[in-house]
Amino acid sequence: MRYNEKELQALSRQPAELAAELGMRGPKKGSVLKRRLVKLVVNFLFYFRTDEAEPVGALLLERCRVTQEEPSGFSISFLEDPERKYHFACGSEAQCQEWMGALRRASYEFMRRSLIFYRNEIQKMTGKDPLEQFGISEEARFQLGGLKA
Amino acid sequence: MGAMKLNERSVAHYALSDSPADHTGFLRTWGGPGTAPTPSGTGRRCWFVLKGNLLFSFESRESRAPLSLVVLEGCTVELAEAPVSEEFAFAICFDAPGVRPHLLAADGPAAQEAWVKALSRASFSYMRLVVRELESQLREARHSLALHRHSSWKAIGSHCKPQAPDRRSPGLENGHSPSKDCSPVDSVEERGSKLARQGLAEWQGPASLFLDRRQSPAFPETSYFSTLHNWYGQEITELRQRWLRRVWGSQPAREKQDGP
Repeated sequence: MRYNEKELQALSRQPAELAAELGMRGPKKGSVLKRRLVKLVVNFLFYFRTDEAEPVGALLLERCRVTQEEPSGFSISFLEDPERKYHFACGSEAQCQEWMGALRRASYEFMRRSLIFYRNEIQKMTGKDPLEQFGISEEARFQLGGLKA
Repeated sequence: MGAMKLNERSVAHYALSDSPADHTGFLRTWGGPGTAPTPSGTGRRCWFVLKGNLLFSFESRESRAPLSLVVLEGCTVELAEAPVSEEFAFAICFDAPGVRPHLLAADGPAAQEAWVKALSRASFSYMRLVVRELESQLREARHSLALHRHSSWKAIGSHCKPQAPDRRSPGLENGHSPSKDCSPVDSVEERGSKLARQGLAEWQGPASLFLDRRQSPAFPETSYFSTLHNWYGQEITELRQRWLRRVWGSQPAREKQDGP
């Protein structure tokens, strides 16, 4: 799959929802925990060597599962291969919870579901579609019917 | 120079998953392996799928592997002057150094317009903006509803009369003692009070406007129910007016923000 690395690199420089130095271990057998600067930007998790400006890599966070691992750690895996885990080690339980919460909310699909929920609730309470003011009430992405579990 | 890693397999799975596509269609595209650095010729016709803030292309509708990915953050979508007098062309332009625009062309004016609109609103940032706005509207609606219910119950059961709307003094000065000299708290009022307090707890932003204008010492930690009664009684009409204007009034400023 072709993509422009520079687009992703530019994205990695955008303001982050969360950024911290964490221990990180890839999903391959025998991979070692390494210190990485981890940065959450929109629905991507970028990870950098601590002394480098460009990211080593990025994880798209759609359809991911975030699981607590041992004390103060968590893993990210993806729906199509739940055993293949990216491990992260945090400095404290509090930091771990903060990251887990942020990562679970970090997908476009999560926001879409939230939007549909709010739209529905507001419509029930007020009888008005709140998306009309944005001119986007007809768009497919915001329809209740388009939502699948 | 090492290539940046990406969880491509997961990205491809997302592209093919049955989560809703936000827009699909055939577009002509330029660029790709073996093509000239600047767009020329009629381009290559591919099947495009927009999901969230990701634009995928496929060789055909039935393909099981995306050809390309464009991440739609920090970009604008503009109508373009295509090569070779191409019609219905548009470009995805990034504000980043060394990132060339992606040139695309639709089959007709309606498709072009639909794509430009969809791509302009595809960013995560835009979605987040809309979600936050709705969140705030829902909080206001809930609070307003709680107050409205509360005031209805108050009208049914209470001896406390609502103050005139232009009265500015805080509740404690209105001649009622802090203790409950209003109608005794029965089950209806208890529910109303509970709802009002829940509404208060959820609703932080606009509450500060109340504080500035009213300087009520009783808000929001008061346990003096009668004080709350009178105070809300004054505010309900005003609140509803403001809320109605905000939620239902036209908002031309917003339309400008999400243009291409």
